[in-house]
Amino acid sequence: MADITFTLNGERITLREEPNLRFLDVLREKLNHTGAKEGCGEGECGACAILLDGHIVNSCLLPLASVDGRDVVTIEGYRMTERYQMLEKAFIEEGAVQCGICTPGMMIAAESMLRENPDPTDEEIRHGLAGNLCRCTGYNMIIAAIRRAAKEGEGLW
Amino acid sequence: MVRHIIPKTYREALEHLKSGSLHILAGGTDLMVQNRAWSETPVAFKKDTLYVYNLEELRYIEREGDMLHVGALASYDMLERHPDTPSALKRCIALLASPGLRRVATLAGNIGNASPAADGVLVLYALDARVVLDSADATREIPIEEAITGPGRTAFEDGEMIREIRIPLEDFDSERFKKVGGRKADAISKVSFLGAAAFDGDVIKDLRLALGAVNTTVVRRREIEAQYQGLTAADLKARSQEIREAYAPYVRPIDDQRSTATYRRQVALNLIEDYIHSL
Amino acid sequence: MKKQDISRSIEKVDSREKISGAAAFTSDIKLDGMHYAKSVRSPIPRGRIKQVNLPSLPKGYVVVDHRDIPGENVVKMIHDDWPVFPKTEVAYIGEPILLVVGPDKEKVAELADAVEIEFEELEPTFGFTNSAIDLHYDKGDPDRAFETAARTVSYEYETGYQEQAYIEPQGFVGYLDEGTYTLVGSIQCPYYVKNAVLATMAADEDDVRVIQAPVGGAFGGKEEFPSLTATQLAVALRKVQKPIKFIYEREEDMIATTKRHPSKVRMEAALDENNNIQGLRAHVGLDGGAYLGLSGVVLSRGMLAATNAYTIDNVWVDGDVYVTNTVPNGAFRGFGAPQMIFAIEMFIHHVAKEVGEDTYTFRTRHQVSQGDLTSTGGVYRDPIILDEMSKKAEEISDYHRKRKEYEDPDTFKGIGMSWFLHGCGFTGSGEQEKIKARVKLKKDADGTVRILVAAVDMGQGPKTTFRKLVADVLDLPLEQVLFPYPDTRYVPDSGPTVASRTMMVVGGLLARAAKDLKESWREGEVQEAMQRYKQPDYIEWDQDRMKGDAYPAYSWGVNVVEVEVSKVTYEVDIKHVWSVYDLGKAIDERIVLGQADGGQAQGVVGLGYLEVMEHEGGALKQKNLTDYIIPTAVDMPKTENHIMDNPYPLGPYGAKGVGELTLVGGPPAVALAIEQAIGRRVRKAPVTPEYIMELIHNG
Repeated sequence: MADITFTLNGERITLREEPNLRFLDVLREKLNHTGAKEGCGEGECGACAILLDGHIVNSCLLPLASVDGRDVVTIEGYRMTERYQMLEKAFIEEGAVQCGICTPGMMIAAESMLRENPDPTDEEIRHGLAGNLCRCTGYNMIIAAIRRAAKEGEGLW
Repeated sequence: MVRHIIPKTYREALEHLKSGSLHILAGGTDLMVQNRAWSETPVAFKKDTLYVYNLEELRYIEREGDMLHVGALASYDMLERHPDTPSALKRCIALLASPGLRRVATLAGNIGNASPAADGVLVLYALDARVVLDSADATREIPIEEAITGPGRTAFEDGEMIREIRIPLEDFDSERFKKVGGRKADAISKVSFLGAAAFDGDVIKDLRLALGAVNTTVVRRREIEAQYQGLTAADLKARSQEIREAYAPYVRPIDDQRSTATYRRQVALNLIEDYIHSL
Repeated sequence: MKKQDISRSIEKVDSREKISGAAAFTSDIKLDGMHYAKSVRSPIPRGRIKQVNLPSLPKGYVVVDHRDIPGENVVKMIHDDWPVFPKTEVAYIGEPILLVVGPDKEKVAELADAVEIEFEELEPTFGFTNSAIDLHYDKGDPDRAFETAARTVSYEYETGYQEQAYIEPQGFVGYLDEGTYTLVGSIQCPYYVKNAVLATMAADEDDVRVIQAPVGGAFGGKEEFPSLTATQLAVALRKVQKPIKFIYEREEDMIATTKRHPSKVRMEAALDENNNIQGLRAHVGLDGGAYLGLSGVVLSRGMLAATNAYTIDNVWVDGDVYVTNTVPNGAFRGFGAPQMIFAIEMFIHHVAKEVGEDTYTFRTRHQVSQGDLTSTGGVYRDPIILDEMSKKAEEISDYHRKRKEYEDPDTFKGIGMSWFLHGCGFTGSGEQEKIKARVKLKKDADGTVRILVAAVDMGQGPKTTFRKLVADVLDLPLEQVLFPYPDTRYVPDSGPTVASRTMMVVGGLLARAAKDLKESWREGEVQEAMQRYKQPDYIEWDQDRMKGDAYPAYSWGVNVVEVEVSKVTYEVDIKHVWSVYDLGKAIDERIVLGQADGGQAQGVVGLGYLEVMEHEGGALKQKNLTDYIIPTAVDMPKTENHIMDNPYPLGPYGAKGVGELTLVGGPPAVALAIEQAIGRRVRKAPVTPEYIMELIHNG
């Protein structure tokens, strides 16, 4: 057991748990944050993506130990932000959501890339999504949505 | 009962390493997959595990003269951003894994994992990188080709861990990194290649050729490279078939779930030949 | 209020809950006192179970196996060869033999690992030798066509496995609710599941309730397979009497759930002295895996597509499903058609090349027209605009100019075009005889209308398009029409969400029900409108002889793909896809275009190029999403897709089927482009760099 302290969506939390729990499981089981999903359990699909210190990481590969002292934002926290609303609007307008299982991860990927590069080219958007697999959409409408959010959300990122 | 140790300092980490054979978990992108258990159950590490991800002391990239010192916890993402990272390494990182993996994965971790297909390791071989290892009582520095001895095997002793990787900074007149993966992004290499050359006037003064994923470790043959020093690019192009054949015996890939030995062999040698023609 | 064109896109009604992560997929569901089930699987491809040695089980932990089944130890599908839990023999690596169930996952995993099963290994069968189903049809006089042929041409084609790779693995949460087996799961067919559980549990209708949770992708992989997990779960529920969560890990899902059937298709053409194809003979072989499942129907659909978009008067088609000791194969978007269409599209090009004719001219000469007979002697009654569609595709892609330019072998570039059809709905009289779809609209006193059907939204949009459709017919705002997640307690059996039938058939029935409701609307009253499927009079189908109208309607498509191949690595850069689709009428244009994008990712890029799955001795070599390569965003080409309206009189607003059409034509389009780029005949899909290298070196 270890005491692990981190910020989750703005709130400071200390958990006393085994350090070798997957952070994805800590979120889903211990903290009831089920927005991050398990699609593969090996860091390939990105459905488990969260923001760690503002950047995308796969929570299925993150042991709880590594989160100590860090800042975590999940889709549950992100959806309170203006940036989320801009992306949400764009995703809806572009038809970027089909089954929706990859979508929270795509939002996290979008935030992670736009905060680095607020005006990405399509090629850069594609590479920014390289770790988020979607089986339904063929990605085109997701790329269009991020492009649109970047354009209409000028100043947000 | 496996112990889980979260050291507060690097010193403390080295002390813990004295106790035997431990997993050293940095980014976790290899260890967490290799030891995965059923979801919602703890990761099934078989050995005591040392969690070093939060040792900020090891998270640095510093240039000293013509040497880049890359701390063990410097992620590929950090390397991509750093102005002093060699361009060859940046080219590799651009195609490596995915944004989420690059954020936590490290050169040190990939060295420790010793996969013959690791792209970052390929670049280190080509750039004559060295690995600095610390134990509680000693330090040593070894070239990268001594650090990795085979698939999943390193020359590291129990009690040691990587503190940093040292990469000599050179300017090349020509550089090519080519990754052949199962798809255009987020793929494990079937074959990988790094070629670099520096010229003195119109003759080669430094030629580097390295191949990944086609033998038990990265293929780099300095004795072959040396033969072509002092020649012009035109000379090399005229002898491209000879160069190709010189590397052939060292290209010994396998069949696996990703590709075939025949394909890997052919493509590896094609890549060498094609690079020579690009000079 | 002026009515909008139904195709005009609207906001999908479930977007927000999905974007925010609030939508509760099966794995997100938590119940008090939840137990967990883990499968113990066969490590060998074939053998007799000699002895099962269980670890000592602590209180609260049980093993569930064939001895616990109250009803039939058969997963009710079409045949009765697929056991819920094998009793004496295992037939594939990964076959689930028993479940360990208990409240703590770590303990369950530990106990599952400690189960030791002794087998007597038996010789497994692989390959196309052991036929368990054989089908046949013919039309005209193929013997004569071949006897009098000026020449004949024949080739063989192959396609490999394809894994659906939905991002959400399979699973259920089950519980007993006052004796009712209640199963909530990621499924396509609530009533398939219910009927399977009824048989296995020997239960009454009211004792089984199946509810669809949001589905994170399915593509056919959750069509029949969930009947296995559901029946196992129901047996476990009976034993344990506690809620149970039963979710597959990705690797389990990869190795042990149904995949697209690998195929070998042999084609033979008889040509007259004018190079017209007078006769076609084909043999379709599918690797069915260990249990038959839906393989017979997949074979049937594949065979029916033998002549694709061409009219050939004399046809002889045989097909076999081969049973092997590998994972049972099953439904995957296209359902036999992708395999066949790959073969016929490649073949028709190869025949043209063989006789020295321009492929485009050759194919155009054989192109189907309205009024022509189908492969099985039915009639293409409705207008076919394939010619117009092709011209559009050729124009936007600059096909002819590029085709000429890329004839130069030094370019290593190519452009390929496929034409294809997809039969909408169940074959022949399946709707009438087997499904007998019923739909219901329920109106509350306050005027809210609920859509009660078993159709599942797995991303393709009926949650939105059905509401749109019904609201439009009833002339109500969208918010007044609801479509709750299908729950067999409340919805009639409108049939499975398969075969591109959802909008055309179920939507069609809903439109009629809505029309009835509109005409009989009484303010302030509770009302119901029901519709039952009635087969159009003109459909005549002889199932045994496979003769007549196999489908009530056909959707059509054209794909053009441009590629560049690397001379150094043999990798393919798929540069652009252009498509034109006739699906009758889009009930929502953006949703249909989304289907086009997704279908192309799976067809053109996936089955056409990237997705390799092979087995060795019955063990799949690609067992996870690292090794089974599906396209990332970086792998997708530029695309341009067009929809051309061609309303079908019996479809709602003229709609026909969409879901599978956008996949089936993809593989030959990219294969033909690669063929041109490398100057070698391509006979296998996926057209991998390894295969390309082999072709270049060996011709």
